[in-house]
Amino acid sequence: MIRAAKDYLTFLWRCGRIAFVGDWRYYAWMGGLTVFCLLGLHAYCIQFVHGLIVTGMSDEVSWGVYIANFTFLVGVAAAAVMMVIPVYIYDNEELHDLVIFGELLAVAAIIMCLAFVTVDLGRPDRFWHLIPGIGQLNFPRSMLSWDVIVLNGYLLLNVHICGYLLYSRYQNRKPSKWFYIPFVFIAIFWAVSIHTVTAFLYVGLGGRPFWNSSIVGPRFLASAFSAGPAIIILALQVIRRVTQYHITNKALLTLRSIVQVSMIINVFLLINEIFKEFYSGNLHVASSRYLFLGLDGFHALVPWIWTAIAFNLISMFLLILPLSRSLKWLDLACVLCIVGIWIEKGMGLVIPGFIPTPLGALIEYTPSMNETLVCLGIWAFGLLCYTIFLRMSVPILQGTLSKSNEHLPEPDSGAEPVAAPAPH
Amino acid sequence: MSQPLQPPTGIPDETDRLMGRRNFLRSSAAFAGLGALAASLSPLRDLQDYTSVDEFVQKYYKEMTPDDMSKVIKRIEDQVQRQYGIRPHVRDLKPMDGVEFVYCLNLTRCIGCRKCVHACVAENNQSRNPEIQYIRVLKLPHGSMDVDKADHLYNPPAVPEKGYFYMPVQCQQCHNPPCVKVCPVHATWQEKDGITVIDYDWCIGCRYCEAACPYWARRFNFTKPDIPKERLNPNMAYLGNRPRKQGVMEKCHFCVQRTRVGRYPACLEVCPVGARKFGNILDPESEVSYILREKRIFIQLKEEMGTNPRFFYYFEK
Amino acid sequence: MSPGHKRPTEKSLRRTNRVLVGVTCGFVALAVAMLASPWKPSTQARIPLVDPSFLEQTAWRKSYADLAREKADLSDFECYVCHEKKNPPPLRYDAEHVLIVPDEHSDIKMGHGTHNRNNLCYNCHNEGNLLTFSTRDGNELQFAESSRLCGSCHGPNYRDWEAGVHGRMNGYWNHQLGEFRRLDCVNCHNPHSPRIPTRQPAPPPHPLRLPFVPGPSAPPATTP
Repeated sequence: MIRAAKDYLTFLWRCGRIAFVGDWRYYAWMGGLTVFCLLGLHAYCIQFVHGLIVTGMSDEVSWGVYIANFTFLVGVAAAAVMMVIPVYIYDNEELHDLVIFGELLAVAAIIMCLAFVTVDLGRPDRFWHLIPGIGQLNFPRSMLSWDVIVLNGYLLLNVHICGYLLYSRYQNRKPSKWFYIPFVFIAIFWAVSIHTVTAFLYVGLGGRPFWNSSIVGPRFLASAFSAGPAIIILALQVIRRVTQYHITNKALLTLRSIVQVSMIINVFLLINEIFKEFYSGNLHVASSRYLFLGLDGFHALVPWIWTAIAFNLISMFLLILPLSRSLKWLDLACVLCIVGIWIEKGMGLVIPGFIPTPLGALIEYTPSMNETLVCLGIWAFGLLCYTIFLRMSVPILQGTLSKSNEHLPEPDSGAEPVAAPAPH
Repeated sequence: MSQPLQPPTGIPDETDRLMGRRNFLRSSAAFAGLGALAASLSPLRDLQDYTSVDEFVQKYYKEMTPDDMSKVIKRIEDQVQRQYGIRPHVRDLKPMDGVEFVYCLNLTRCIGCRKCVHACVAENNQSRNPEIQYIRVLKLPHGSMDVDKADHLYNPPAVPEKGYFYMPVQCQQCHNPPCVKVCPVHATWQEKDGITVIDYDWCIGCRYCEAACPYWARRFNFTKPDIPKERLNPNMAYLGNRPRKQGVMEKCHFCVQRTRVGRYPACLEVCPVGARKFGNILDPESEVSYILREKRIFIQLKEEMGTNPRFFYYFEK
Repeated sequence: MSPGHKRPTEKSLRRTNRVLVGVTCGFVALAVAMLASPWKPSTQARIPLVDPSFLEQTAWRKSYADLAREKADLSDFECYVCHEKKNPPPLRYDAEHVLIVPDEHSDIKMGHGTHNRNNLCYNCHNEGNLLTFSTRDGNELQFAESSRLCGSCHGPNYRDWEAGVHGRMNGYWNHQLGEFRRLDCVNCHNPHSPRIPTRQPAPPPHPLRLPFVPGPSAPPATTP
């Protein structure tokens, strides 16, 4: 028992150590990210002291880039687990190890989501009011209470799955199916639920006709399953470049087909939305008019949404064409997809829901410098977390960081440990 | 994949020296990083009066014993006295039995003078900078209840203007309130007499209720509220007009500090044309019962939302 | 990313060291910058406090009963100081049958009813006794009872007023817990020209984030 605990602590210590070891590219990247994290923390401290007045939000537009980023990242977290389906349901062995990279991305994304929601709170010191049992969590009536439960549950689920699989690989032991296969299947269902619950946050508000529509949920999932795997495609290529970890092109192309189908569905749903809003001519379309065409001289979001639509269309066509089987074009399609969906879900969904207000007032929203720094800080923190996760998991999966070379000196002390034979 | 181990030779070479340097620089970078971390937390020096230990662990309103409440009230009175130099009288007023409040507003009479807005601000100790006003008066053209046609910022030399009517909107105290449904911590709920109240010490400031309200009735304290000392109303209620803190929601509560002791709300008492009517709908002799019995046309705003407000707008001609 | 496979080369070590120096300097510069420049909130023009006249609850006009209560000067109501008893003043009209108000009562602007409907002083004032009012059905009312006079023609509004629905009530909605005050008709309506005059509104709201939309029909809001 004690031995097991001691082994685990040694494992954690070694993982922690290796996060500080790297070559010059690693230090430059981590240093840069840390600078942004600290800038973000500083900006948040200012917000904590002076209140949310330092952001660009107001009573008219009471949610801004924090919730916009939160919405986008919940989608990324949900989709990161999309690789689980081909591996565990369709027995696609190519992607087997890559599942861990996807789930680690999900963990980093959820950490970012929780950070974005926390910085958006007016009284973060009262977070304990949300804890069921100690506080007064309004479950099941409030969709936000569902969100609190499913997001934290999803975090624990993925931390368990990745942690268990990595620790088993570290110990050169075959992981026991009962400790992770059921959780993997739960994770598939849970991933869809986190994003559906987040969609329901918006859909459930009858007072906001722009959001109170049944297409919001399916659109969320379609756009998440486009942007999420697109991020993974790019991340895997980075891993391939900076480590010696072997990732086949076939894996990337499998992910490409997921993005392809999701993007087609996403664009189809967009066409549905535009038809519904503009054809019938009834009155509840002020927010859509504001977003797509501008209203009463206010058109701040119009260039953004049309850019997003253009990016999504170009990305969709690139993905349909066999041209995107070449990595250069695939990368372009992925970048366009990610940026387009980020704009669409953030500025194209959250902000227009508030403009005009339920009483018809038109007040626009621009994020302040402080707000932007906090956002960049949280993104940097998320990338920092993901980099550290990869820094720990790649050597474990490759076998260079394993129980068998525990007794050897650590990598940076001059003598290098020998790679252990890879387990099966 | 494996390479033969190079045993340390014992003679430090260039690589060893550089590696030693690297380790030193790594530690110094980490140290500098910790210093930068401390510096990034420096704005917290300016944090004043954010929360006390008592406030942090304060129980939920519905779980407080009368003893808890009296301690909390004393703390609030002390705080207000410290901040404004006036000792207020704070009460925890409970709903009266056999009472359900209803508000009726005569749109034929309202002249759009906005006195109700400012009377409410004065009575309920609302922030002046930034400005919080629970009531918003909409100027609408004759013939339409479409709020997208409303003008919020009218400021002509004289009101009422020909061809327009005026509709003040505030919390409608709905029978089926969306804000109560969505609050993740039960910080807002509806009481027996129909008033939807907020426990300002429980609200976490997520602003979900503000997004949910179809009438744009809820307000958020984006920063510390600024109440002029000379206009502070010291007659306060815990769920009503006691000064709020930064980061919490507030809204019209039908002047609980007045109505629960039998008085009219402030907006009604200042209206120069008597357009506002308030009372107990369960009393058949009240003004509001009379109106809902006698007037042929009365409406609820945005009825299709299903909120079933306790606020009725009616017309004479 | 992982130097775990071979000993780092001199070149990469030098580069690493340079990067580490850069990172350290970056952190120090950041720390200095964050400590040296305290953030100041952006200064928006302070919104002035509203004029206290907008908070007043006093009625626009005083009724005879109010004046009597305040023991104010009631000499304006002593008609027989100028007029003769048993000799009511004759009414004079111009060519369009519009009433000519005598100079002694020049403060009265006649405007009670359109199309010269109420062009006859004796519709309300009692010819036989100028100190009272007379209704069309022959009731004689004191000055303090003027609301009943209004009600003798304006039935629906009078019924609403009696129920507390027309005009403002002040005080307690719960009549067991306190007093309520109902205003008289003349507290708001000038009996000779009863239409409520237009008046200046209180200032418009100041939204937190500028610019805001000026109304489609109103001139731009005056900045404080």
